Amino acid sequence: MAINFQEVGFTYQVESPFAVPGVHDVNFTIPKQQFTAVIGHTGSGKSTMLQLLDGLILPQSGKIEILDQMVTPETKLAATNEIRRHVGMVFQFPEAQLFEATVLEDVMFGPKNFGHSSEEAKTLALKALRLVGMPEKFDDQSPFDLSGGQMRRVAIAGVLALEPEILVLDEPTAGLDPQGQQELMALFAQLQHEYGMTIILVTHQMEFVAQYAQHVLVFEHGTVIKTGTPEEVFSNQQWLQTKQLDVPMAKAFADRLENKGIKLEHVLNLDALADQLAQKIREANKNV
Amino acid sequence: MFSKILIGRYLPGDSVIHRLDARVKLVLSIAFIFMIFLATNWPGYLLATAITLLVVSLTKLGFGVFLRGVRPLIFLMLFTTVLQILFVTTGHVLWSWGWLKITSDGLVNGVAIFIRFMLIIMFSTVLTLTTTPLDIADALETLLRPLQKIKVPVAELALMVSIALRFVPTLLDEAEMIINAQRARGVLFNEGSLVKRAKAFIPVLIPLFINAIKRAIELGDAMEVRGYRVGVERSKYRMQSWHKIDSWAVIIFIVFAILLFVFYLIF
Repeated sequence: MAINFQEVGFTYQVESPFAVPGVHDVNFTIPKQQFTAVIGHTGSGKSTMLQLLDGLILPQSGKIEILDQMVTPETKLAATNEIRRHVGMVFQFPEAQLFEATVLEDVMFGPKNFGHSSEEAKTLALKALRLVGMPEKFDDQSPFDLSGGQMRRVAIAGVLALEPEILVLDEPTAGLDPQGQQELMALFAQLQHEYGMTIILVTHQMEFVAQYAQHVLVFEHGTVIKTGTPEEVFSNQQWLQTKQLDVPMAKAFADRLENKGIKLEHVLNLDALADQLAQKIREANKNV
Repeated sequence: MFSKILIGRYLPGDSVIHRLDARVKLVLSIAFIFMIFLATNWPGYLLATAITLLVVSLTKLGFGVFLRGVRPLIFLMLFTTVLQILFVTTGHVLWSWGWLKITSDGLVNGVAIFIRFMLIIMFSTVLTLTTTPLDIADALETLLRPLQKIKVPVAELALMVSIALRFVPTLLDEAEMIINAQRARGVLFNEGSLVKRAKAFIPVLIPLFINAIKRAIELGDAMEVRGYRVGVERSKYRMQSWHKIDSWAVIIFIVFAILLFVFYLIF
């Protein structure tokens, strides 16, 4: 088990006239080396949960276990730096955090902060830059001369250079073109399979959830209302729609076919849908 | 991180003070800061305190909110008060220890300064807590309009003020986001020596500046696309209107000012 939330609650600006509810009564477990997707309507508490699991904010109630470290309301904020060594966090629009003179230096920034020597940091940075698909020629350029998509890659490399055990991604594909989105998602899947990283992805794109995730957490009004496999979560379209969420397109299409009397099973992505339809057609031909 | 700052924030409500015209509130708040220096005696302080408490209670926001607004400045207030108490050497000596002397004048001055500070902060917090930033910007524009005669670009200044006010919360949110992102990359804020702490803010300030410039370019483009031209007469969407309570507020304030002046002359 990588992460465990028990009865976690957090309110922003507690005891002030601006108090804003964050999350309450949150319970879930995220298994190690697996791909977990977090979905929920805007403002449902997903981003608050991410800050909690990186130790950026402390829970006001309950406890959080992150890689055998316990975080409770009594934990000292200074002690949470140890957590961030193991949890890599890619915030929304991470390109907004670039600041160094060159791409390479910016990626080296994180490893240096966590005590690596310049040499080690450089090795880690180069590895991370190649991993995200940034060609060598950009290493010595200013990050501000890059395109939006390239800046996003550099920012993600800056987190990957920390070699985190857990990688947390808050809508990493927002604002990218479809190809850029696909490439990034493929990279995250590769990190999970080849490097054994635990991936936690917050997204509004159900296609990606269906394609990559092994577990899904559904958030609503600041708490987790459902956990399960993508199949379990996407099995009830009406229920999801009441939570202002959708099923993947392939699943929606399969449901429509089912209404017309064509029985399909376990359809979450286009490949599965095409396979089963081909199977059905073959069977039908045989019977003729 | 910035959530505790109360200055400049607006708390919606439906009190008499909320409904007052922003121009009235702005002028009276500024006038109050000058008026408070007329209070040089106990009746004056009593009157000014009474008026402040009356206005604060009329906002129906509760005293706690205002006291919290004072809290970040309490160190500055106490510092000045203590300086006054220790370094005013006129009047008769009440207590002395070596070269340190506390005199009656020093004590009186110290307390007076503390009260003035308190009242000014409370009174100006009323303005920001009960008036939306845009209303304040509008009020500023109307009040500065006479300056147009001496070629001051009032409309442009007002535009800058309202854009600046509009982006204060956005920039604060962004700063907090960047701080979090850099913390996630191992930056330790509020730790180590002063130089180290100052250096820790470079990875926050550079992105913040660059994003602000980008945002300014985008906003400028968006404004031009929507037909904004410099120096052209524009109509107004938001109208300011004068009601009976505005007149009453002004009358009450004038009475307060005259009383204060009378006390100033008598005592």
